[in-house]
Amino acid sequence: MSRKVALSLLLAGAVAIGVTRLIRASDHKDSMLLAGDPAADIADVYTFRSPTNPGNTVLAMTVSGFIPPPEASTTYFDPNVLYQWKIDNNGDAVEDLVIQAFVTGTGGHQVMHFRGPAAPSDIGATDRIINGSETAMVAVSNSPTPIVASRNGMTVFAGVRDDPFFFDLVQFKHVIAGEATSFRNPGVDTFAGTNVLAIVVELPSSLLGNSKLGVWGTTSRPQL
Amino acid sequence: MTRIAKLAALAVVGALLGCQSPYAPRDIAMSVLMNKDLQQEDRFGLPAIATVFIPTTLKDAYNLGSPSGDVANFKSLIVAKLMAFGQDAASAEALASALAPDIQPVDLSQPSAFLNGRKPADDVITGELHLIFGSNAALNDDHVDANDTPFLTTFPYLAGPHVQ
Repeated sequence: MSRKVALSLLLAGAVAIGVTRLIRASDHKDSMLLAGDPAADIADVYTFRSPTNPGNTVLAMTVSGFIPPPEASTTYFDPNVLYQWKIDNNGDAVEDLVIQAFVTGTGGHQVMHFRGPAAPSDIGATDRIINGSETAMVAVSNSPTPIVASRNGMTVFAGVRDDPFFFDLVQFKHVIAGEATSFRNPGVDTFAGTNVLAIVVELPSSLLGNSKLGVWGTTSRPQL
Repeated sequence: MTRIAKLAALAVVGALLGCQSPYAPRDIAMSVLMNKDLQQEDRFGLPAIATVFIPTTLKDAYNLGSPSGDVANFKSLIVAKLMAFGQDAASAEALASALAPDIQPVDLSQPSAFLNGRKPADDVITGELHLIFGSNAALNDDHVDANDTPFLTTFPYLAGPHVQ
């Protein structure tokens, strides 16, 4: 069964126990608009203090969920998509800083370029690549050995990884369809064995403007 | 103009036009996105929250929107859904205030653990099921407590891909 068929069944069944809509994933296959646009479909965003350097923060974003093993080395980022972390420094839910990432190149020869953290030229749902030089760049990894690059204290990665998300989505589906009344114990991770495209940045926390942050990820495309 | 100066000028023009010149400075990426107005397609703050609480008919509007509009546009929907899940008005209001705007709050002076940031190993679904379903043991834990593949202790932290 294709993921889209599974998704349709999931949507059709999402009526029981007051759950009118379902958790399909953390945010994988987010909407009809994004269903045909996996490279712009954000699966997850992670923000955490670096386990290897207490003065650093790690930001990770995953897109293009449910990449099966045979397609791990041939699923690519989209050069027409701008990937961003937006960072609010003062609690007003408006971005004060952004970190931008975008690829150049095609196929297995892509390079991910990074700009920021820096103040964005546009606020909100319309974006532009910020002025100034790149803060880092790295060749995109298409194999299990990660290619990592560092510049100015910022370490970056982009490429295919195991999907870090875990959830018994299948049983949740049964529950909301009224076919089960509880989760399984132990549960079964629906995302086991699947891959995502990941972008990971580790940088000095001092570059993020404040120790208290609000972080979200976005994807954007040129306006038609 | 000397021949070399002409070539240099040509390279600069090429770079400005976004040509894939092998002589372009490495810091100027020849991205097709350069100098274009870009429109947001998707956004992500808290895991699964938009998916659970935003109706399908509003999903695209949500993805195209900004967190600063979330309280005005979506908080009442979240309150209503939480009350449909069985929460009283006060707790639904309190929880909805934590979920809108849809932003990942992080206090870097404290250890990271969902809802203070989000580490890959954090069991965010069980955390959220507890928030939504409270003490209902049948539904407040999916009993998938960890990733299928161990995370790395060093950068890039995420486990390597499954390949054939």
